[in-house]
Amino acid sequence: MRLIKQSIKLSLSALAIASALSLTGCAVTVKNAPETVVETGSFSLPQYQTVSLSNGLKVNLMVQKEVPLITLSAVVRAGAVNDTTSGLASITAQSLMLGAGGQSKAKIEQTLDFMGASLNTAADQEGSYIDASFMTKDIDKVLPIFSHVVMVPDFDSTEFAKLQQREIVGLSQQKESPRAVIGRYFNKLVFGDHPYANPSSGNSESIATLTIEQLRAFHKGYYQPSNMTISVVGDFDPQQMQAKLEQAFGYWQNTEEVVQANLSQGLPEMSQSKVLLVDKSDAIETTFVIGGMGISYDNPDYVGLTVVNTILGGRFTSWLNDELRVNAGLTYGARSGFVPYSKAGVFQISTFTKAETTKEAIDLALKTYARLWQTGIDQATLDSAKAYVKGQFPPKFETASQLAGLMSDMYLYGFDDNFINQFQAKVDGLTLEETQRLVKQYFPQQHLQYVLIGNASKIADIAKQYGEVTQVDIKDSGFGQ
Amino acid sequence: MKRTLTALMLLAGLLSASNAAATTAKDIKSFTLDNGMKIMVLEDGSIPNANMYLFWKVGSRNEVPGITGISHFFEHMMFNGSKKFGPKMFDRTMEAAGGANNAYTTEDMTVYTDWFPANALETIFDLEADRIAHLDINPEMVESERGVVQSERTTGLENSNWRTIQEALKGVAFSAHPYSWSVIGYESDIAAWSLEDLQQYHKTYYAPNNAVVVIVGDVKLAEVKKLANQYFAPIPAQTPPKEVRTVEPLQHGERRVFVKKESVSTPNVMLAYHIPATSHADYYALDLLSSILSQGNSSRFYQGLVDKQIATAADTYMPMSFDPNLFYILGVANSGVEANTLELALLEQINSIATEGVTAEELEKVKNIKLINFYRDMETINGKANTLGTYEMYFGSFEKLFDAPERYNTVTPADIQRVAQTYLIRANRTVGVLAATEESDK
Repeated sequence: MRLIKQSIKLSLSALAIASALSLTGCAVTVKNAPETVVETGSFSLPQYQTVSLSNGLKVNLMVQKEVPLITLSAVVRAGAVNDTTSGLASITAQSLMLGAGGQSKAKIEQTLDFMGASLNTAADQEGSYIDASFMTKDIDKVLPIFSHVVMVPDFDSTEFAKLQQREIVGLSQQKESPRAVIGRYFNKLVFGDHPYANPSSGNSESIATLTIEQLRAFHKGYYQPSNMTISVVGDFDPQQMQAKLEQAFGYWQNTEEVVQANLSQGLPEMSQSKVLLVDKSDAIETTFVIGGMGISYDNPDYVGLTVVNTILGGRFTSWLNDELRVNAGLTYGARSGFVPYSKAGVFQISTFTKAETTKEAIDLALKTYARLWQTGIDQATLDSAKAYVKGQFPPKFETASQLAGLMSDMYLYGFDDNFINQFQAKVDGLTLEETQRLVKQYFPQQHLQYVLIGNASKIADIAKQYGEVTQVDIKDSGFGQ
Repeated sequence: MKRTLTALMLLAGLLSASNAAATTAKDIKSFTLDNGMKIMVLEDGSIPNANMYLFWKVGSRNEVPGITGISHFFEHMMFNGSKKFGPKMFDRTMEAAGGANNAYTTEDMTVYTDWFPANALETIFDLEADRIAHLDINPEMVESERGVVQSERTTGLENSNWRTIQEALKGVAFSAHPYSWSVIGYESDIAAWSLEDLQQYHKTYYAPNNAVVVIVGDVKLAEVKKLANQYFAPIPAQTPPKEVRTVEPLQHGERRVFVKKESVSTPNVMLAYHIPATSHADYYALDLLSSILSQGNSSRFYQGLVDKQIATAADTYMPMSFDPNLFYILGVANSGVEANTLELALLEQINSIATEGVTAEELEKVKNIKLINFYRDMETINGKANTLGTYEMYFGSFEKLFDAPERYNTVTPADIQRVAQTYLIRANRTVGVLAATEESDK
């Protein structure tokens, strides 16, 4: 492969991170060059309708007839931020599939597999997701299973015990790959005691304490018509689909007031640089993340920041990738991105290099990052990044599951069609002066936070140079102190 | 309205369910330039974007010891400067036009993928033609790219158990054929190949008669033809590359390999069986057998291993392949489960198919899964380009898609049992174990 393609759950953060770069190093900076707008073809969100079922449950219906498939997605406003025991939201979501409406886990799986249908459940920081994909002709077989899984899961105790055991082992297995877990360590380091620090996976000790009673209470408290939305995208008739959904969900009533944490409260401020050193004694490279606080989803400067980040670390020719990979040969890839949540977010630079070049790579990443303030962005680079961000936008919303995911994100994070339909215009309107404001206002410059995963015996002395060091072993339970 | 490929839907053998608007097979246009380059075009205006996929018939099977990994390294060098677009300018030019790219190398081929707003089509032709005809291999870029590829190799081994165990296993399963080494190559070769090696490689393999090009998206056939004639047609053909001569000798007994990695928390067991090339008639039965073993929670492996708490995961992998290759199985042990226990549990599932066969319902299930996965591939312009190109490469013509439905549909439970009995046998397998500690001699 030429570069790693990362997929990130949230479509908008994927957008922010997948975009990338500019003329660097040897490039001539032409600050007064005229702006060039590159035309990339017009793109708008396909039409859809939003209807309410008789119990108030909101449903989005979007017809896409290219293939005879349907994606059916439910999103519940409940995630790791609501965990009373770490991992509760995620294990609750996964346990929806352990039998429902009196049908066993095995029976449900057999029925779905026979149709080639898929039904997946998961939770992240702020949402729980139930996603099905199936052939249009199978709607009447899939929908009853889907609705039972959402509304009346059995939480079978034998299956739960098996799942719990596999999850605990799975947490250890995930730590075999630094790349798979470094984000969880970084969130914990940045957010500290705030709910955004909660890893949705939980940790091996917390998962071991979970009980079915906790799962039932979590489900009862959050899985309610008033706290979720359903999006259907694909090849179907909207009127018929609405009637089917009414039959499946319309009688389901809210049972209690939904209690949500105030996530705007208690957000941390970075007052000093900290380094979390995660020792992996047989590591053959150092994987690291540098960053700090970022932005929330509803930030009005979201699109502009996507463009600026594209220049810094969001595409192949980005400053970071150009310096660390192309010029120095230190790594296979270096990137940066904003990961937004509803009320806050993180910004992070991430890469990896062999243990011997750890210091060289960190210093070069910092030096390159500092160019945002020292030399700023030139017009040609800005024009290029704007063209890139626009040109790569439509394929992010091409499939039924991408479009259903987008509507789920709209529900969770409170943005609307304008995000898509005004995207190109917002990108086109970004000026050089604006980029300077965005850099100054949003990119963390002081008190950077670091996570290094590698062989501590080789890199502990290096870690000390960047801030106050806390060291943990990667095999320890959890994701930092 | 988006368009649908009737021909491609036929692949999966089911049409009755579809009420989607369909186009005919004629919508896939193909033409061959005088220099031998074959180009396929599919007009699809569902989004204002298009792609260009270039499939080159060169991969690690074309290498020899001393230059292992050079096909993949070359994939990187194709971005590092040509006559009109010097170092860095390929990516800068493409991204400034709103495009992005990537590339990948396999044992058999090297594939370059460009994704762009449809109105950037000519820029893409210009960029691709220049690096095909006039690649300028810069010695300084070669040196920094060695570091990049070493890092790519290292990060793969650090983060992927699959990579780690597969690399060791292939070296044992193949004693003669170049599938013996990993696509990324040996560390010492990455450090050592010369400028001359690279120049020779480009001349030999990056000739238009050794490529297949697929363009899908919001483009017009006439425009593509015009640009292909302008940019690609002038590139001269070369003498076709030499055939890969070595045929892997028949295996006559189980082979084993062990890899120690301290951070591995539970043992991983890989089994690999020699199977024929993708062009062999048994491809379809083996492909369906692979699904029966591992796809979905109703699969044999999930039911027999994961649900029984023996494994946390168990999967199969059967790459499409020009030459006879391997059918892979990988199990990851649950805690407290020894590698040997996991291995026996995997073998129990395989042997039960060989001795007792599969049910008609099981077979119908995996045919349905294949169908829906096919539709998912057809949902995007990228999926379409990749599927068309892949069929052209491995089956000799994208038109072979029309034979595929019948091939899948005619596979019977007896065929599944027969291929299990023929290929998934002890004498034909290699076993790899990846674990934190090696067993003692006692």
